[in-house]
Amino acid sequence: MTRDHTLEIDHLSLGYGERTVVDDVSTIIPPGRITAIIGANASGKSTLLRGVARLLQPRMGAVLLDGSPITDLSPNAAARVIGLLPQSPSAPDGITVGDLVGRGRYPHQGWFRRWSADDERAVDRALAATGTSDLVGRRLAELSGGQRQRAWIAMALAQETDVLLLDEPTTFLDLNHQVEVLDLLVDLNHEHGTTIVMVLHELNLACRYADHLIAMQRGRVAVEGRPADVVDAAMIEEVFELPCEVVVDPRSGTPLVVPLGRHRVSS
Amino acid sequence: MTTLTRVAAPTDSGRGAWAAGHRAERARVVLICSVLAALALALFMVSMMLGSYFLNLWQVVTGALGVSTEPSAVFVVRELRLPRALAAILVGFALGVSGTLFQRLLGNPLASPDILGVSSGAGAAAVAGIVFFGLAGLSLAAVAVVGATATAAAMMLIAARGGLSGYRFILVGIGLAAMLGSAGSWILSRAEVADAREATTWLIGSVGMAEPAELTVLAIGIAALLPCVSLLTRRLRALELGDDSARSLGASPMRDRIIVMSAASVLVALATAASGPIAFVALMAGPIAAAAIGRGQSVIASGLVGVLIVQVADIAAQHALPVPLSTGVVTGFIGAPYIVWLIVGGNRKETAG
Repeated sequence: MTRDHTLEIDHLSLGYGERTVVDDVSTIIPPGRITAIIGANASGKSTLLRGVARLLQPRMGAVLLDGSPITDLSPNAAARVIGLLPQSPSAPDGITVGDLVGRGRYPHQGWFRRWSADDERAVDRALAATGTSDLVGRRLAELSGGQRQRAWIAMALAQETDVLLLDEPTTFLDLNHQVEVLDLLVDLNHEHGTTIVMVLHELNLACRYADHLIAMQRGRVAVEGRPADVVDAAMIEEVFELPCEVVVDPRSGTPLVVPLGRHRVSS
Repeated sequence: MTTLTRVAAPTDSGRGAWAAGHRAERARVVLICSVLAALALALFMVSMMLGSYFLNLWQVVTGALGVSTEPSAVFVVRELRLPRALAAILVGFALGVSGTLFQRLLGNPLASPDILGVSSGAGAAAVAGIVFFGLAGLSLAAVAVVGATATAAAMMLIAARGGLSGYRFILVGIGLAAMLGSAGSWILSRAEVADAREATTWLIGSVGMAEPAELTVLAIGIAALLPCVSLLTRRLRALELGDDSARSLGASPMRDRIIVMSAASVLVALATAASGPIAFVALMAGPIAAAAIGRGQSVIASGLVGVLIVQVADIAAQHALPVPLSTGVVTGFIGAPYIVWLIVGGNRKETAG
């Protein structure tokens, strides 16, 4: 499997109806790295991810995979390179973890060719990587939030794509499960070189876990780069309209944003 | 059901937990389908033994094969009982498969063709055909197919505007069902008494009125569909995860929805054309099959449960009561409380996701 796909966003504009949400964005996703897209609500970060995931037709511009627009690829071919975990995925009632993860093999199976040894190996690897092997027979609905999210990530992994997109994978999770999910994504990135692009709300976790940050503001890229290089008080105040202090995380050495509201902080 | 022969992987002989579980699950589905099929076969025989005079199993088998020494047994079995027993199987299977396809496509146990107006579409078209044009047999079947597919297409067109959520389909479908029901009643109110009577009988639905020509068309429809079941299931498995996931898995949700819905609509239309709209079979078969399987789903198992429901309902309709009834009366009698149960108790959707 080749690990060196390039993913480039080229003058991309996206929107819904009359509204333009992503406005002329150009950037290169660093291959084999973890990229976090951050920004205030309605800054266009989820929309940008949806554009990369082929869920939205570009108004203008394109998402280029290895130099050619992804909209030119067949859906199956694109799905073998780029996988997505949507923000609030839905599954039928009573589905088991094993059934769910098996469905990640869709783009690798033909009309009549089903369940090859490759499929079985990929599903088993995905289960093992996410620590969900013991849950295969369990119903998704009866799992904890963290287990459920790991099962969904396992489904996306079974798709065996080199690029994995995640739309707010830690939302609705307790802090311990947020860290667990992000650690898992780093494992994947280290072990398989998977390029990871995720929308994250939690700024400090984004600074710690991402190699590359893209900060969106009003549909455009405000700042991008290595967290340690780009995150400072001025940048956060600009992008999130929030006064803050940025210190160094004592354990990871990455930027740690301390928000300054009107109360409970000393001036 | 086919059992897949797999080539053992040359490198790693130790199969993981998933493969073993997957195989066990498939084996259970095959076993349950075999049990359901055996039950259906038994009821098929029983339904040909019962009647104004009882035939034993030997008389039924030799009669059906035409090798009986008693000409009366040959006549009773082949001319009177066999068509009805076959109709129960074909109609039940088509309704069960169609119902589960709709329910899975729209992700809701209420979303069966009889609730969504697809059956009403077939019904209204057929009533119009009977009353205005005096249609019967194959031409009536054709009109019913047109009515059902037109209703499904209208539902797609109206519901697909601005998103493809299951709830929109269901609301639009219920609206269409009400509208088409009224249209059918309006046509009936304008009809001659004899036509109205015939149309009303048709609207209640009975496997007893299926004509050989209609049954042949239905059998051809089912035979054409069976090889496609694995194809339809594959598409459903992606669609069931929502449009975003389906598209990122490489599926084309809009196109796949149309394919699955067309197959399901044609099936329900052919069944309706043969026997009239037998109520609630399509609604009940899928959930009962899912409960029988426990984990996972099977379109074939749903079809077989549909067969069993129609067989039991028809045996009850013909023999359990002092006056023989139409099959649809009995299924309606079972189905109405089921819907109440579904809405009051069983529809507490678990939030999986």
